[in-house]
Amino acid sequence: MKEGVVAKMKEFNAVLAGVGGQGILLAAEILGTAALKQGLNVRVSEIHGMAQRGGAVVSNVRIGEKVLAPTVLEGQADVLLGFEPLETLRSLRCASEKTVVIMSDERITPTELTAKKMKYPDLEEIAKKIRGFTKNLIVLPAAKLAKEAGNVLTGNVVLIGALAATRKLPIKDESIIDALRELVPAKHLDVNIRAFKLGYQHAKKGRTRT
Amino acid sequence: MPDLRLLLQDSPKKRALLLGNEAIARGSLEAGISVVTTYPGTPASEIGDAISEIAPEAGVYMEYSINEMVAVEVAAGAANCGVRALSAMKHVGLNVAADALMTLAYMGVKGGYVIVTADDPECYSSQNEQDNRFYALFSNLPCLEPSDSQEAKDMTVSAIEISEKLELPVLLRTTTRVSHTRGPVTYGKLTKPNLKGEFVRDAKRMVLVPANSRPMHTVLLQKVERAKEISETSPYNLVVRKGKNTKLGVVSSGAAFNYAIEALDTLSLDVSVLKLGMTNPLPEKMVGNFLKRHEKIIVLEELEPYLEMQVKAIAKDYAPNVRIYGKMGTVYFPRDGELSPRSVVTGLAEITGKKTPVNFGEIDRKYAAVQKDLPRRPPILCAGCPHRASFYVIKKATDGKAIYPNDIGCYALGFAPPLNVGDAFICMGSSVSMAQGISKVTGVDTVPVIGDSTFFHAAIPGLINAVYNNHKITLVVLDNLATAMTGHQPHPGTGVTGMGNSTETVLIENVAEGCGVKHVKVVDPFNVKEAIAVLKEALQHQGPSVLVFRSPCALMVVRERRRKGAEITVCKITDKCTDCMACIKLLGCPALILEDGKVGINEALCTACGLCASVCPYKAIECVKIG
Repeated sequence: MKEGVVAKMKEFNAVLAGVGGQGILLAAEILGTAALKQGLNVRVSEIHGMAQRGGAVVSNVRIGEKVLAPTVLEGQADVLLGFEPLETLRSLRCASEKTVVIMSDERITPTELTAKKMKYPDLEEIAKKIRGFTKNLIVLPAAKLAKEAGNVLTGNVVLIGALAATRKLPIKDESIIDALRELVPAKHLDVNIRAFKLGYQHAKKGRTRT
Repeated sequence: MPDLRLLLQDSPKKRALLLGNEAIARGSLEAGISVVTTYPGTPASEIGDAISEIAPEAGVYMEYSINEMVAVEVAAGAANCGVRALSAMKHVGLNVAADALMTLAYMGVKGGYVIVTADDPECYSSQNEQDNRFYALFSNLPCLEPSDSQEAKDMTVSAIEISEKLELPVLLRTTTRVSHTRGPVTYGKLTKPNLKGEFVRDAKRMVLVPANSRPMHTVLLQKVERAKEISETSPYNLVVRKGKNTKLGVVSSGAAFNYAIEALDTLSLDVSVLKLGMTNPLPEKMVGNFLKRHEKIIVLEELEPYLEMQVKAIAKDYAPNVRIYGKMGTVYFPRDGELSPRSVVTGLAEITGKKTPVNFGEIDRKYAAVQKDLPRRPPILCAGCPHRASFYVIKKATDGKAIYPNDIGCYALGFAPPLNVGDAFICMGSSVSMAQGISKVTGVDTVPVIGDSTFFHAAIPGLINAVYNNHKITLVVLDNLATAMTGHQPHPGTGVTGMGNSTETVLIENVAEGCGVKHVKVVDPFNVKEAIAVLKEALQHQGPSVLVFRSPCALMVVRERRRKGAEITVCKITDKCTDCMACIKLLGCPALILEDGKVGINEALCTACGLCASVCPYKAIECVKIG
C-alpha cells in the first residue's frame, strides 16, 4: 500500500470550494440527490449563516456504503471541485496525487486585495501550486460557458458537467439530469442541462490535453 | 430540498435526502407535534423555516417568537394543556431560555415537549462554542443526541414519547455538522396534529411558590430515576460494534461517533464501540459493564469532556482499574473547535501507537507553501448592504471617535476595516446595556448599534434602563426589515407572522417612545447627508436617544427586482474618476474592483445603492440602467 493513500475505501469523496453566492450548496445537493436516486448512501456537508456572506464556502459530498462523517480526511478527496481559483488553493489539504482538481478560472477578488491595491495572483502560479499536490488539473472557463448556456448563474452546473466527464463519479449522467429536474425551477431546466453538457464537453476535450 | 412540502408526504419507507434540521421538521410531523415555536439562529434556523413553510397545510401552529425564552414559555403553555410542542433554538438561545427551562423542569408537561438546541462547535456562526449537554445535566432533563439526519428524525419522535412518559421536556441536542449535513432519511408514518388543548388547574404542580417547588424538586429527581431506566434500555444506547481486540473499547456520541467509526477503519482498529444516543441520564449499568470488559477506554466526543467526566465517575464503582483516554489529563482530542477526520485519526493513533496511513506532516509542509500568500476571505457585508451606509454615516458623524458597542447579526461585520464600527458585544442586546456602563465611566460619546430583530429580542429592558437611569447613549437601530443573517425570517416589525399571515406592525420608533425615550428619529441611511445631520443632532441630546436607520436588506431588494423583472441599474465610473481609491478605502464594497489599477464596478454584484456615488469626492460615479 502506497503511503498517503488509504486503499480500503471503496467510496467517492468530493470537496466543493468557492465563495458564498456561487451556487456551491445547490451543486452539492444536486450530487447528493443524484446519488440517492441510485440508492447510494451519501453525506453532504453545508455551511449556512454568517460564513455565507461573501466568505469562503466549502461543501463535502461523500458517497459510499460506509460513509458516516460529513467531511473527508485530508489527502483523500477523489475530486476537488474549485469554483474559484484562490478558494481551490485554500482547500488543497484534501488533495493528494490521486485527486483530480477541476477548477473554474472565474476570479473573485477578495476585498482585502483590492484595498491594498494588490493584484490577484497569476492563474499559472495558482496552477503550479496545485500541481505540487496533484498533476490531474482541469481548468475551465465556467463563467464563460455558463453565459454560453444562457445564464451566468449556471457556472455550478458547468462544473458538475466537467466532473461527470472525468468518470470519477459513481453516478450516471441521467441521475444528475433527474436531480436537476427536481432541484432547478422548471423554466431554468433547459439552460441548466445546456450548462451541464458544455462543462462535460469542455472537460472531455481538456482531459486529452493534460 | 427542492420543495419543503415534500416533508408532508404520507409515504412511509420513502427515502429523502434531508438536512439534519429538515429531518427534525419531518420528525415533528411524524410525532404529531402541533405547536412549534422558535427564534431563528444558526445552526437551528431551518427547523422553524421548514415548519413555517408547511404549517398551514400541515395543520400545525408555528410562530417566530420574539426570543427563545418566550418561545419556551409559549410552548410550555401549550404542552401543559396536553398539546405536543417543539421549540428550536441555537445553543446560546438556550441561555436566554434558561430561566424558564430550569423551573419548567420542576413543573413538567402533559403533552410531549421537545426543545432542540443546536450547538456550534468551531463557531461557524456564533459567539461561543458552549456544550449544551451540560444544560441537560444542570436541569435534570433527558437529552438525546443524534449523529445523522436519520437519527435526528427518529429521535424527535422518541423525544416526544419519552417526554410524555416522564411528563418532562426533553432536550434534543444537535451540532452544526448534524444540523447542516444532508443524509438519507427513511420516512415513518405521519401523526395527525391535535391543536386542541385543555387547561386543568393543578396549582401544586404549576404554581411554583417555595412550598410547591420543594416537593416538585423531589418529583423531578424521581423522574430522573425513571429516565435512567429508559436510558438503560434505549435503542439509541448500544454496542454498535464488537471488536476482536478485547482490551480496548470506544465510547462516543453525536457527530464524534461518525468520525470515530471511520477513523477506526482507517487505522484498522478492530475494537468494540459503545454509541450513546441518550446522553442524559447516562445508562450507568450499560456503561459500567462495558468498562468492565476492557482495560482501556477511549472517550471520543466533541467540545467538553461531558461523557468522559461521567464515564470516569462510573468507572470508580464498576472498573476502577480501567484506563480512560480522552481530553482530561493528557489531551488526545481537542476540547475547542470541531473535531475533524484528521484530529480523530491522530488522537486514536497516538493512544494506540498506530501509524497513520496518511502523512499529515507532508500535507502540512506542502500546504504551508500554498497558504503563505493566500489572501483571507472572511465574510463581508454584501454589495448594496444598507449597513455599509449606516456605518459610513456613524463613522463620519462621530469622526470615528465615539465608542461603538455592537450586537449579534450581519452588522457585527461592521467592526472590520475599512468601516471599523463595532467595539464589543457578548450576546443579543448587549450593545444597549454595555454602552451605558461605558458611557457612565468614560464620558465619551457612545453609539451602540443593534439590528431590528435583535432590538425586539433583547434591547427593550436595556433601553428602559437607559431612560430610567438617564444614561447618555445614542442608540442606532439598523432596521433592514428582516432577521437577515439567518435567512430573512419575519419579526414584529415586518407585519407578517410565521404562519404567513399579515399582522400588526410593531414600529421600533413607537417602542422607543413608549419606553420613554425623548429623542427618537427615523432616517434612510442611504440619504447620507441627512443621516449624518440627524446623528450629529442626537449626539447633542443629554440622555438616551434612539435613531432608526431604515432600509431593506439588499438581498431582499435584489430578489424582489428579479421577481418583478425590473430594469437592472448599476453604478458606473465616469471619466471624472482619478483612481483616488476613496470609494474603495472608505466602503470596502465587494462590487468596487480594480482592473489594471483602475477603479471599476462588478456589474453582477452592484445593486446601484449609490453609496459610492455619495462618497466620491469627484462626483465620478453615476447610476445607469443596463437593461
